[in-house]
Formats: sequence, structure tokens, C-alpha cells
Amino acid sequence: MTSTLEPAAEQQGRPETQGRREFLATRRRTVVVELTMTVLTVAVAVLIAFLVVLATGKDAGGALDALLTGPLERTPRIGRWLADATTLSLLGLSVAIPFRARQISLGAEGQVYAGALASALVAINLHLPPVAAVLVPLGAAALAGGALGAVPGVMKARLGANEIVATLMLNAVVVRVFDYLLTDHLKAPGSSAVQSAPVRPDSALPLLSDFFQVPLDQANIGLFGMLAVAAAVWFLLARTPLGYRIRITGSNPDFARYGGLDVPRTIEWSFVIGGALAGLAGAHLALGIYGGLQPDMAGGLAFEGIVVALLGRNNPVGVVAAALLYSYLRVGGDVMEQQTDVGSDAVTIIQAVIVLLVTARALPELVKRYLARREAR
Amino acid sequence: MGPVLDVVLSTGFLAAILGVSTPYVLAALGGLLAERAGVPNIALEGSMLSAACTGALVAGYSGSVWAGAVCGIAAGALLALLLGVLHLYLGADAIIAGIGLNLLAAGATSYTVFALLGDKGGTSRLHSGALPSVRLPLIEDIPGVGAVLSGQNVLTWAALAATPVVAWLLYRTRFGFHLRAVGEHPEAARSVGIHVHRVQFRALALSGALAGAAGVFLSMGAVSFFVTGMTAGRGYIALAAVFLGALRPCGVFLAALGFGTAEALAVQLGNLDVPSQLVSAIPYVFTLLALAFFAWRRRRASRTDAAPAPLAGPAVLESP
Repeated sequence: MTSTLEPAAEQQGRPETQGRREFLATRRRTVVVELTMTVLTVAVAVLIAFLVVLATGKDAGGALDALLTGPLERTPRIGRWLADATTLSLLGLSVAIPFRARQISLGAEGQVYAGALASALVAINLHLPPVAAVLVPLGAAALAGGALGAVPGVMKARLGANEIVATLMLNAVVVRVFDYLLTDHLKAPGSSAVQSAPVRPDSALPLLSDFFQVPLDQANIGLFGMLAVAAAVWFLLARTPLGYRIRITGSNPDFARYGGLDVPRTIEWSFVIGGALAGLAGAHLALGIYGGLQPDMAGGLAFEGIVVALLGRNNPVGVVAAALLYSYLRVGGDVMEQQTDVGSDAVTIIQAVIVLLVTARALPELVKRYLARREAR
Repeated sequence: MGPVLDVVLSTGFLAAILGVSTPYVLAALGGLLAERAGVPNIALEGSMLSAACTGALVAGYSGSVWAGAVCGIAAGALLALLLGVLHLYLGADAIIAGIGLNLLAAGATSYTVFALLGDKGGTSRLHSGALPSVRLPLIEDIPGVGAVLSGQNVLTWAALAATPVVAWLLYRTRFGFHLRAVGEHPEAARSVGIHVHRVQFRALALSGALAGAAGVFLSMGAVSFFVTGMTAGRGYIALAAVFLGALRPCGVFLAALGFGTAEALAVQLGNLDVPSQLVSAIPYVFTLLALAFFAWRRRRASRTDAAPAPLAGPAVLESP
């Protein structure tokens, strides 16, 4: 509302409206630019993978077709897409919150296993009334993930310990403890495979296919839960004091400190909330996808959460959109591998190129300068 | 405890420690060089993986294990140089770019193996062979010592030799002096005429080459084929050894040896009634405690100096 300083606005007589209109126009332009950049990034990444496939002499056209249209061809694939996007969104959000406070937490992997373990332990062993049977395991997962997030958070905020090393070490410990508990204590008796007993039917997340009467694979109401969580994260970051502190700590730590914000406390909370969300992702795997515990159940998902957070610019809406896009490519990659002789790992290459393009911040500037020089000639 | 002690004190176990520690030592020394030059090299994992894959493939198709080893090491160095381009010239955050490169290595290696051999699992149907082990004619007759030292892989000896070489490079050469100067204070280094980016590029190339040697050991030393994702997080562990070793060659060597010992112990105890996963988790718990302890001590020291302690934003986020 500083537009009273502008003569043009004063002449109009309604400076506030004018200033606000300008502000909104600028913001709209920024959003358009960001969206264009994101779409462009993904397009370039897909193009590079396409060229790689071409160069290795495979059926590139068929592969691209399978990758891009395959996921929509059958409803179970759509279900797999949505289920995958749910886990990935939660993981992306879990990484995005510490990122906003300028903390690089790589601890999602351990937190996923902790969340899966906590939720499954409750869901297998406790007999609870219907709604509580779902909510209590979810709460346990969020608590476990949050508690695990608190460790590197406190170490970083109070002692200044490197959070990257701390989270990596914690991952290594938790994954091993998870393996130990699963193989030595939780393995279902009488089962030859290493997996836990199934969770109680009351605790399994209700499948969407039961509501819509079409086969949707493992897609479940976790999808709506995830959307609610994303909305809550948006509210937290945009509308609450803690969210404000997280954003200020991330964008200007010195200002935050001199402004009297409790920076260590803010950093700790960013880790705890991130951990709780990763714990929920683990619960979604245990209660929704697998219906129990399995070895290596998180796969490489935790690191893919980082990709999603980056691609979504650490913005809750962006993260969900990026997760939907990314899991679409994942399902498409599997279809591609089934239908053509191109391996689904082409998708991992796409993902890697996306990360590199997004993080290479000077690249757009260099491209712009190059184009300008060509135009000048 | 009887059978456990028997295992721990056997010469076979000591020999296994050296073997298992080899990739950790090589990669951690690589991580050390990059870290001291001010570029955290989280792409160690990717360098190892691409080197392991390239080495096995080249050795399998060319029939020469040495050609495979050289190409593998070059592949590791190349990936680290890519990190240098992204971080130093394209303004990418070193950590995020490193994670991206690790993904790239994971995707590209298994894509290539699948495209060439039609097998997602690895190159086991390709007879790529392994680098030779070194037999020591006189020493192998000494009881105890001989069984531990003789018959170790060439790269295990390279790892043992690399520690003093890296120490010499860092502390006794002009290049090492420039490297440390660049890592400690890039502006100061630039002001006295040191070419900061050039030094960092060279440090990264060496770092990637050492990680590459670690990867080559995995696919051409410990076994004679490449398995998809066979590094299994060793690059990240090596990075932890860099910090646990307090950024000094000797400390890094001991830390890497510690991780190797725990892993070897977990393998050896696998057939006894001891939870091997918990044994192999010990060094990570120890690293966490050490990390907290060192940070606490540093924080206390800086408080007595009345210097402002860094609270937010890890040093790695500030590009040099």
C-alpha cells in the first residue's frame, strides 16, 4: 500500500486499489513464469531421456507413447498413480518444510520406516473401535516420525551439528533396527517370506475401489488425507506465526535472529513437523499399500521426495502437483518397461535431469544471455 | 562370548576387515579432498556406482581388467567434474546437485546394463574378471601376519597407500596448500592470486577418481561382476567417515576402518546367534554421538571466545 508515492496512482484517486492491482498482476506473472519454468524443466528432462533411448537404438516412439499415455489406459494404473502420488506428496511436504527453514534434512528414509513400524505395531496388536483403529496408528506414525526428526533438529539447532550427516546416520541406524525387528521379532509365524502379520482389517485404509466400484489397485482414502495434510501445511506456512518464523529463518537467518525470533526453536519445529509427515507417509505404505511390514518397503522413495519438493518449489500446492506429475512418470515407466524393451530406469534418468536443471539456478540466466548474444549478431 | 571372540581374533577376520574397509577408505579420502577444498562431495555414491558399472562393462567387453579399472576410475572422476560444473559455474547447490548426480548414476547404470545385457540385476553373465590380488612371497610365511596381509587385492594396497599419499598431498605440496586455502577462505585465496575454481576442479577430479577406485574395487575386487545399486549407500557412509575423522587423512582412515570393521563383524557374526543388523548399526550410533560431542565442544569453545555461533543455514548452503 505504498503506492501513494506514485503520482499515477494519486491521480486515479484510489491508490489502494491501484497498488493492489499491480501487486496481484506481478504475483500472477511470477506464478506464470514459475509454472512455465517447471513445465519446461520436465519437458527438457523427458526430451533428454527420449534422446538417450533413441541413441541406444530402441523403439523410442513406442516407449514415449507408453510412458505418456500408459498410466491412463486402465483404471488399476490410475489407482497405482494416485497411491504413489499420495506417498510421494507426503514425502515431498516432509522435505519442503525444513527446506523452507533452509535446513537440508535427508532423514525422510528413516522417518518413513519409523512411521511404518509404529503404525503397523499399533494396527497389528491393538484392538480399537472402528474410526480410532485408523486414527490411532496414524497418530503413532506421526509421533514416531516427529520424534526421529527431533534428534537431528535439536543437534543442529542447539549444537550446530551438520544435519546432513546426522540424518544420514540416523537413517542407517533406523533401517537396520527395522530390519532386525522385522526378521527376528515381527515376522509372521508360518510365513516363509520375511514380512509381518497383516494389519487388522479395521486399521487398513479403506480402498477407493470400494467407493467407486472400479478396480483402482491400492489407492485408498489416504489420498484425501494427503490433500488435507497439504492444505494444513499451506495454512501452517502462510497463516501461522510458526510458519512465518520458518519462512523468515529460511530466507534471512540474520534478520530472524536480530529480530528476536527464537531461531533454534523454529529449526527444531521444522524438523519435527517434517519428520511427522514422513512418518505419515510410512503409515500410508504400511496401512494402505502393503497392509503390513515388508523389508525395503520404502525403496528409494525418500530421496524422490527431495525431487518432488524441489520441483514444487517447496510450495505445498506445487509439491502435490509435482508428486502427481512425478508418480505419473513412474507408473508410465513401468508400463513402458512391460510394453517395450526400454527399461523403466529411463524414468530415474528423467528424475535426475529434473533435479539438476532445477538446482542449476544460473542456467536460465546463461541461456538468456546466450540467446541475447545470438540476437545481437 | 566364546565363539564371538574366536571369530574376532581369527586372522581371516582381520583380512576381511581390510577387504571390507577398502571402498570406505578410498571413497572417504576422496570425500576429504573435496571437503577440504570447500565443495562437499555428496556425489561419492554416484561416482562409486558409475565406476563400478563402467569398470565391469569395459573389462567384460575389452577383456582387460586394467582397461576396465582405468575407465571406471575415469568415470568416477567425470561425475565429480560434472558436480564441479554444476556447482561452480551453474550456481547449483552442491548437496542437491550431488543427490541429483547420485540419481543419475543409479538410473544410467541400471539403464545401460539393461540395454546392453537385457538383465536388470547386473552384469553377472558378462565374464569381466577381477583385479589380481597381491601375494607377498616372504611375508606370507610369517604365521598370523602373512594370512592377513598376503593375498589382499591390489586396490586394498592402493587404499592403504592412499592415506599417506593424500596426507602428503594436503600438507606437503603447493597444490595441497592452495587446496586448503581455497577451502578455508576462498576470498583470501583469490586475493593472493590462487585460481579458486581451478583448484576446486582438480580437487573434485581427484575426489571422484578415489571414489571411482572404491567403486572399481566393489565390482572388480570383492566380486567380479556389477550388481545394480551395489554401492548400497557406501558413499554416504564414506561421507560420514570424513566428518567423523575430523577432516584429517589419518582420522578419516581410522573412521573408515571402523565402519569396515563393524560391517565385517556383522557378516562374520551372521551365522552365530547375534543380531547382525544391530552390530552393523553400532558405528552409525557412534558417529551420531561423536557428531554431537564435537559440535558441543566447538559450540562451547566459540562461546568462550564470544564469537557469534552459526545458528541457521549450514555452511554447505553458502556457495564459496
